Amino acid sequence: MAVYLDCNATTPVEPSVVALVTRFTRDDFGNAASPIHDYGLFARAAVERARKQVGKLVGARPDEVIFTSGATESNNIALLGLMEHGVKTRRRHVITSSIEHKAVLEPIEHMHRHGFEVDIIPAGPDGRFRVEHLAQRLRPDTLLVSTMQVNNETGIRQPLDAVSQLLAGHEALWHVDAAQGYGKELEELRNPRLDMLSISGHKIFAPKGIGALIVRKRDGSFPALQPLVYGGGQEQGLRAGTLPVPLIVGLGEAAKLALREQPERHATCVAFREEVCAILAKLDAEQNGTEEYTLPHCINISFPGITSAQAIKALKDVVAVSSTSACTSHTQASSHVLHAMGLPASRVESSLRLSWCHMTPQVDWDGVGAILRNLR
Amino acid sequence: MNVFARLEHAVTDQFEHGDLPQWLADPALEVAHAPEQYQDNEYLVELLLEQVEDFDVYAEAGCCKWAYDHEDIARTLKWLKEAK
Repeated sequence: MAVYLDCNATTPVEPSVVALVTRFTRDDFGNAASPIHDYGLFARAAVERARKQVGKLVGARPDEVIFTSGATESNNIALLGLMEHGVKTRRRHVITSSIEHKAVLEPIEHMHRHGFEVDIIPAGPDGRFRVEHLAQRLRPDTLLVSTMQVNNETGIRQPLDAVSQLLAGHEALWHVDAAQGYGKELEELRNPRLDMLSISGHKIFAPKGIGALIVRKRDGSFPALQPLVYGGGQEQGLRAGTLPVPLIVGLGEAAKLALREQPERHATCVAFREEVCAILAKLDAEQNGTEEYTLPHCINISFPGITSAQAIKALKDVVAVSSTSACTSHTQASSHVLHAMGLPASRVESSLRLSWCHMTPQVDWDGVGAILRNLR
Repeated sequence: MNVFARLEHAVTDQFEHGDLPQWLADPALEVAHAPEQYQDNEYLVELLLEQVEDFDVYAEAGCCKWAYDHEDIARTLKWLKEAK
């Protein structure tokens, strides 16, 4: 079996998370909305504990954590859920960046089709969106700024501190898609200026199908979000539907471990990166984006003369890698992120993303090198 | 510090400096002092620890429940007893 190097697409699930998800599926299967007997009471207690665990990672209160099916749904609630408020208040200007995930860009396209003005700020070859462009586009009627924390294709940390300074004193709401950084880069998500954060369980060693929108109160009030789904009033009316207790408990456990084990995980990923960079240097790989801003568990590189498809196919028995976002790789479209960074088409078409984690086993790097050399 | 040692510390602290009543502190300390009996129920012990740490007599007051009250802790102690 090939070694899995596609952790930005999804991570393996921590054994203790599997154990809890199994327990709350098989044995403690109560409905958290039925606290009229011990089954329901235990489920509710477990959900509320998970809510605290998820919020604790970013300094949010439990009531600021809205469980969803994942970051895509969270992004949709944060963006589309504000449309009615924007129309009512005549603030129909939205800013985002060209390197966002499709789960942000497509809802914003929808807003544009419904009368919202949209500014999309560019990114540079370093892989970061340009804050100076954000400063130029910010207007008194800007309703929302939506920026990602860490890019999913390059692993590059975005300049959130600079955005925070820029938005100080401005009324615009600030949403951050933190799917790739939550549980890994802890400090910057504790910034109280962040109004909304989207997170996903399956990027932090919990199962797929669970995530959260963390919505911070400002001056005692939540942003004026409207739900996208009705029927039950769960999650403070923002996300109707029976709570998936096993998945929520799994996300809570994953958040707990992320907080407790962050230094060790970080060190493991840094050590692994040194091995990766050593072999890539021998193969004359070109890194896409600036190393200085890249998180230790991911690298995006291009091998001149070898297409992504050729490399992925040739390596498939040794390592499982990808060339672009998991959510767009099935379309065979080349990376909109690398194009937005201004990279030439030849480099985009030969790009590979390697992403690993603290659970990644050793890789036969000599074998990887030999396969890639044979392709040249 | 393992979860049982943390529980002992939290119970002692909440009893001496907070409002945790003796009728809850005593059985919670019994759990903390018997890891061999409760080690297979670490999830419940962790839940009890968090409830003790965030214990607030007035947890049910106000619009949002941010803390745990005596009913929460008593219920978890009951579950621990049943699971033992």
